[in-house]
Amino acid sequence: MEERKILLREDEMPRQWYNILADIAMNPPLGPDGKPISPDMLAPVFPMNLIEQEVSQERWIDIPEEVLGILKIWRPSPLVRARFLEKALGTPARIYFKNESLSPPGSHKPNTAVPQAYYNKEFGIKRMTTETGAGQWGSALAFACAQFGIECKVFMVRISFDQKPYRKSMMATWGANCVPSPSMETKAGQAALEKDPNTPGSLGIAISEAIEAAVTDGSGQTRYSLGSVLNHVMLHQTIIGLEAKKQMEKINEYPDVIIGCAGGGSNFAGLAFPFVYDKIHGKQIEIYPVEPAGCPTLTKAPFVYDHGDTAKYTPLLPMHSLGHAFVPPPFHAGGLRYHGMAPTVSQLANEGIITPKSVRQRQVFEAGVLAARTEGIIPAPETNHALAVVIEEAKKAKEEGKEKVILFNWSGHGLLDLTAYENYFAGNIKDIDLSDAEMSEAMKVFADHPKPQNLKTAR
Amino acid sequence: MPDQDVNNLERRCPRLGSDISFRYCLLSGEDDGPCFKILDCWWEYFDVADYLRQNMPAAAFAELIRTAEQPKNKIGSIIDIARRAQEKTS
Repeated sequence: MEERKILLREDEMPRQWYNILADIAMNPPLGPDGKPISPDMLAPVFPMNLIEQEVSQERWIDIPEEVLGILKIWRPSPLVRARFLEKALGTPARIYFKNESLSPPGSHKPNTAVPQAYYNKEFGIKRMTTETGAGQWGSALAFACAQFGIECKVFMVRISFDQKPYRKSMMATWGANCVPSPSMETKAGQAALEKDPNTPGSLGIAISEAIEAAVTDGSGQTRYSLGSVLNHVMLHQTIIGLEAKKQMEKINEYPDVIIGCAGGGSNFAGLAFPFVYDKIHGKQIEIYPVEPAGCPTLTKAPFVYDHGDTAKYTPLLPMHSLGHAFVPPPFHAGGLRYHGMAPTVSQLANEGIITPKSVRQRQVFEAGVLAARTEGIIPAPETNHALAVVIEEAKKAKEEGKEKVILFNWSGHGLLDLTAYENYFAGNIKDIDLSDAEMSEAMKVFADHPKPQNLKTAR
Repeated sequence: MPDQDVNNLERRCPRLGSDISFRYCLLSGEDDGPCFKILDCWWEYFDVADYLRQNMPAAAFAELIRTAEQPKNKIGSIIDIARRAQEKTS
């Protein structure tokens, strides 16, 4: 009988996370004064043990036994050979995925929520706050806090709070206090409600509420938590790739291609960074972060120093970004935006260690539907981005007659995101391309910007 | 496209993960202005850049473009929000 799932025993789980900051050269994030941000600036927001991880240069960081104990609720996650998808594509490629949809909240998010809750508890924190949109991150943190007996407060954007009753029920079941944002509990919320008592809220307001609730708690026992972008989040997610390496070793396989969706970067980084380590040390491997064609921040935008806000309060950061003067032409506005991407992922793309790919909306959902009809799991829309490139690569392998090994991250299930599929089936999703000429024009705006060093990691 | 039709258009918000109307995107950004991703999200549906250019004051439109193009550095934003919150409550 053909083997489908490659499993690790619990005693084979990785005991250390991989910290990519030990192996890549990074330009530091700069403050408004042009100097690097210091750990003490983050102290009111995060516990110091997580701040230490945020800036750590240690290559391997021990995973505490208490964290492993909770992760074992669903980990090690299976590595699955996607035989039915392979068959449907008629490809000689061998396709594998890490099934991260099996966690209690249904995504990879608790891989960092659990250690974050643990380190907060270790630091003496009694209460954690966060914001959530549709509730994926909020549910992950609610679950994690429940495991460690920490109070969890989630500010959920009101429009989603009203639209997604199941997510708030999940959070309530895990004991979290999920309130619609804006709320009357913070000054930021009060101000928004004063302006418009019926406001549907926004992520910006919810983030402000969550941070305010943390930093203004006079007891000092509340901290804020974020589920993407930051270095310590990427670090915790590397358990995905570290498990995958062990699982592939068990069957004497090694991937030729690694693929993950790169929104904020954490599900991509989680799978890819341990293989980036191999690539830096000489392995031949292609690594593809995938993003929507509407905003290919890595594929087309130049690598520059830029501010995070128009008032220039926020630091200059080395990032893939376009400048301010560009006015998007009709039907070509997308594809030229910067949206938040982990700086480590940006750096790797800049160095050419990873190769960003962009996919279009319809292709994304076509891939998701094919995967659901073959492998059975309905993927999260984010996972569909990775799947679209997996299918491209598998078809390419067929054309070339190559037995390529493809590994990707099935980052979550889409069972609470079915409206996105409904829209696809209703034909509401269209594809339009961008021109390179417009990109060239856009890049001219950086003439006056300081340029980050094009650092190269020693290999 | 008439304003009413545009306002009623819906799509999945990649930040919220749920369906929202174009009208929401017009009002969910900083200071009740458009979301910084409005151009990103709607360019495949209609000529959103032209629509905004015609319906917003020129300075506000220029500001939107500038905001949309500049990266949101999370760490920097968090420090900034924390600082402002502490100032308000001190």
